[in-house]
Amino acid sequence: MISIKNVTKKFDSVTALNDISIDIKEKEFFGLLGPNGAGKSTLINLLVGYFNSDSGEILIDGEKTGKNNFEVRKKIGLVPQSIALYDDISAQDNLEIIGSFYNIRKNLLRAIIAENLNKVELYDRRKDKVKGFSGGMKRRLNIAAGLLHDPEILLCDEPTVGVDPQSRNAIFDYLEKLNSEGKTIIYTTHYMEEAERLCSRIAIIDHGKIITSGSLEDLLELLPYKQTIHISKNQATESKKEIFNKFGTVIDDQDAYELTPFDHIKFSEFFKAAEDNGIPYNYIDIHKPSLEALFLHLTGRRLRD
Amino acid sequence: MKNILNLIKKDYILFWNDKPAVGLTFIVPIFLIFLFGSIFSGSGTRPTGIRVAFLNNSNSKIAMKLESVLDTTKAFELIRNFTDEKGKTSAFDTNSIKDFVRKGNVSAALVIPGDAYTDTSMGMKLKFYYDPKNEMEMQLIEGLLTQSIMSQMPSLFMTSVQRRSESLLGNEKGRSFNKKITGLVSEYFNIDTSKMNKWMSLQDTSSTFGDTASNKSNFFNDLLRIDKEQLVGKEVNNPGATRSVGGWAIMFLLFSLTGASTSLLDENKSRVILRILSAPVSREQILFGKYLYNFSLGCIQLLVMFFAGYVLFHIDIFSNFFNLLLIIISASLASTAFGMFLASISRTQSQASGLGTLLILTMSGIGGAWFPTFILPPFIQILSKFSLVYWAMEGFMDVLWRGAGTFDILPRVGVLIGIAVIINIFSIIRFRKGNLF
Repeated sequence: MISIKNVTKKFDSVTALNDISIDIKEKEFFGLLGPNGAGKSTLINLLVGYFNSDSGEILIDGEKTGKNNFEVRKKIGLVPQSIALYDDISAQDNLEIIGSFYNIRKNLLRAIIAENLNKVELYDRRKDKVKGFSGGMKRRLNIAAGLLHDPEILLCDEPTVGVDPQSRNAIFDYLEKLNSEGKTIIYTTHYMEEAERLCSRIAIIDHGKIITSGSLEDLLELLPYKQTIHISKNQATESKKEIFNKFGTVIDDQDAYELTPFDHIKFSEFFKAAEDNGIPYNYIDIHKPSLEALFLHLTGRRLRD
Repeated sequence: MKNILNLIKKDYILFWNDKPAVGLTFIVPIFLIFLFGSIFSGSGTRPTGIRVAFLNNSNSKIAMKLESVLDTTKAFELIRNFTDEKGKTSAFDTNSIKDFVRKGNVSAALVIPGDAYTDTSMGMKLKFYYDPKNEMEMQLIEGLLTQSIMSQMPSLFMTSVQRRSESLLGNEKGRSFNKKITGLVSEYFNIDTSKMNKWMSLQDTSSTFGDTASNKSNFFNDLLRIDKEQLVGKEVNNPGATRSVGGWAIMFLLFSLTGASTSLLDENKSRVILRILSAPVSREQILFGKYLYNFSLGCIQLLVMFFAGYVLFHIDIFSNFFNLLLIIISASLASTAFGMFLASISRTQSQASGLGTLLILTMSGIGGAWFPTFILPPFIQILSKFSLVYWAMEGFMDVLWRGAGTFDILPRVGVLIGIAVIINIFSIIRFRKGNLF
C-alpha cells in the first residue's frame, strides 16, 4: 500500500532522512521507533506531502505523494505531534473547520463529527472551547480531527506525548479498534512500550536511517540473548548497582534496572551474587528483552538519550 | 540577595533575547521622541516650504514688494503655475488658482488683485482662497503670512495715515496735518525732515492681515483688507471629526490586519497549518485565503468606523459613498499587503507584533494620521509619500472633504493598489524563500 523508496531529505546541512526504504502493507499497524530527532516526523511530513523529498519517492497505492498531489492526501488522515487545533473555539467548530477542507456536505459532516466525538468520548463537551480541555481530551480530539474524512491511512506522530496513563490507554484502545476495522496506521514513537503493545511491525530509525525493521519477535531475534534481568529499584538494590554492572549492561529505568547479561554470564551466577549481597529474590525478575535493549544493542545508545 | 540578583539577571537575559520587546522599549520611543521633538521642540525651526498658490495681478510697487517678500520667506513656496490634464503648464488666472485649491493641490492661495493698491487706496486688498482640511495648517499659513507682511513692510501704515487724514480733513488741511505730523515725528525721533517727507510721499506701501468685511470703519483693518473665501468643505458636517476619522481608522486598520495576518505564524507554530495542508489544500490557497479574509475584514472595519462617524458626528459618508468605497477597498488592499509582509519577514507573532507597532506608529506619524504632514521636517515629508497611510488619508480627505469624483481619486487609488502589488510581490518571494510553511 505504501512504498517508500530510497528517500532522502536534507535541511541545509542536516540530513533528516538518508536513503530510507520501507514497504507498509494495507491494514498494518506499523511503528516507527526512534529517539527524538531521528527523522520520524520528517518521514510523516513527507508522507502527507507537506514537503517533497530531495531524492527517492513515496508511493501510496501506486500514486506518488508530494506537495501538489491532493488525491493522495484524501487517503491520509494526520494526527500531528502538536495539538493542531484552535484553542479559542469549540471542539465542534474545530472539527467543522477541518472537515470543510474535504468537501463533505454540511449535514453529513455534522453527523460524522457527532459520531467521532462519541467515539473519543467528547460529545458532551463538543460546545466547550478546546482551551478548557485536559491534555488527554485534546489528544483525543486531535485524533478525531484526523478521521473526519474516513481516511484509509492514519498517520499518528507521537500522539500520546504528555498524556496521563489512563488517557494513553484509552487512545491505544481506540487506535487498535480503528486498525481492527481496517485502517492502516503508521505510528511514530520513542516509547518502546507503545511500539511493543500496538505495532505488528516496527522499523527502528536513528540519525535518519532505518536500522532494522520487522515484527517484534523478528527484531528481538537480533539480540544475542533471549532474556533480560529486571531488578526493582529500591533502597536495597540502588546501593548495589555496581554489582549488576559486572554481569551485563544496565539500563537505569524509572522503576527498575534492566540488565542485559554479557554473553558468557550464567543466570545462576547472578542470583548467587545477589543473594550474597542481601538482595532478595522477589526484587529480581526474568523478562523477554525489550526494544530499548535492542536499540541499545544496535546503536550503543538509549532510545531516550 | 544572590537569588534576587540571579533573578534580575535572568529577566535581563530573557528581555535581551526578546528583540521585539527591546525594540518597543527603546527604538519606538526614541523614534517618537525624535518625531514629536522635531515638530514641537520650538528650537527655532519652523515649517518651511509650505506650498501656497500665488497670483499677482497688480502692477503697484507695493504688490511687487509683497511678492518679493513672500518669495524670500522660507516658510512658503509660492506656486505660480499649474499643469492641466493634458500636461500643459500655464500661469494661474483667477479661476484656475481656485480650481488648484479645490482639487487639493494646495491648502491656500493668495491673489493680489489688479486693484489691490491704487493711487487712492487707503489700504491694500488681497484675496485669500483656502481649503481648511487641516485647521492647524490654515492657522499657521494665516499667521505666517501676517507676520511676513507686517514685519517687512511697515510703510503702509504711514501712507494710510496720510491718506486717511487727507480724506477726512480735505486735501489742504490734510496735507497741513500730515506736514505737522511729519515735523513732530522728525523732531521727536531726530530724523531728517526731507527724508521723512520723501518717505511719506511713497505710493507703494505694505499691508497687514485682517478681515475687514464686517468692520470697514476700522482704520487698522482697512490697512490690509483680505477677502477670505473657503473653497472646499463648506458643506461638510462636523469638519473636525471628518478630518480625524480617516486617520484613526487607517491606523487601527493596520493594527488589526497586522494581527490577523501574522496569525499565520501562530497557526504554523501550533501545526494547524500542517493539518490543513494534509487536506487537499495548497499553500497558495492558504495564503490567498488569508489575504482575502484580511482584505474583507479591513473593508468591514473601515465601513464600520465611518458609519460610527456618521452616527456619532453626522459625517456625511453617503453623498459620495461609491468613491469612499473605492478608497476603502484600495486602503484595505494596501493594509492587508502590509500585514502579510510583516508575516513574511517575521519568525514569530510576537516579533511581527513588535515590528508592526514600530512601523504602524511611524507610518501614522509621518503619514498624516495624527497631524498634518506639512509641519513635519522636509525630509520626513518626503518619506511620508512612501507611507500607505499618507495616500489613504489623502484619499479619505478627497472623498469626504472635497467631494472628489471617481476620476479625481484615481491617482490615490492607483498609488494604494500599486503599494499593495509591490508589497505582495515582495511578501510572496519571502514566503517562498523563507519556507514559512
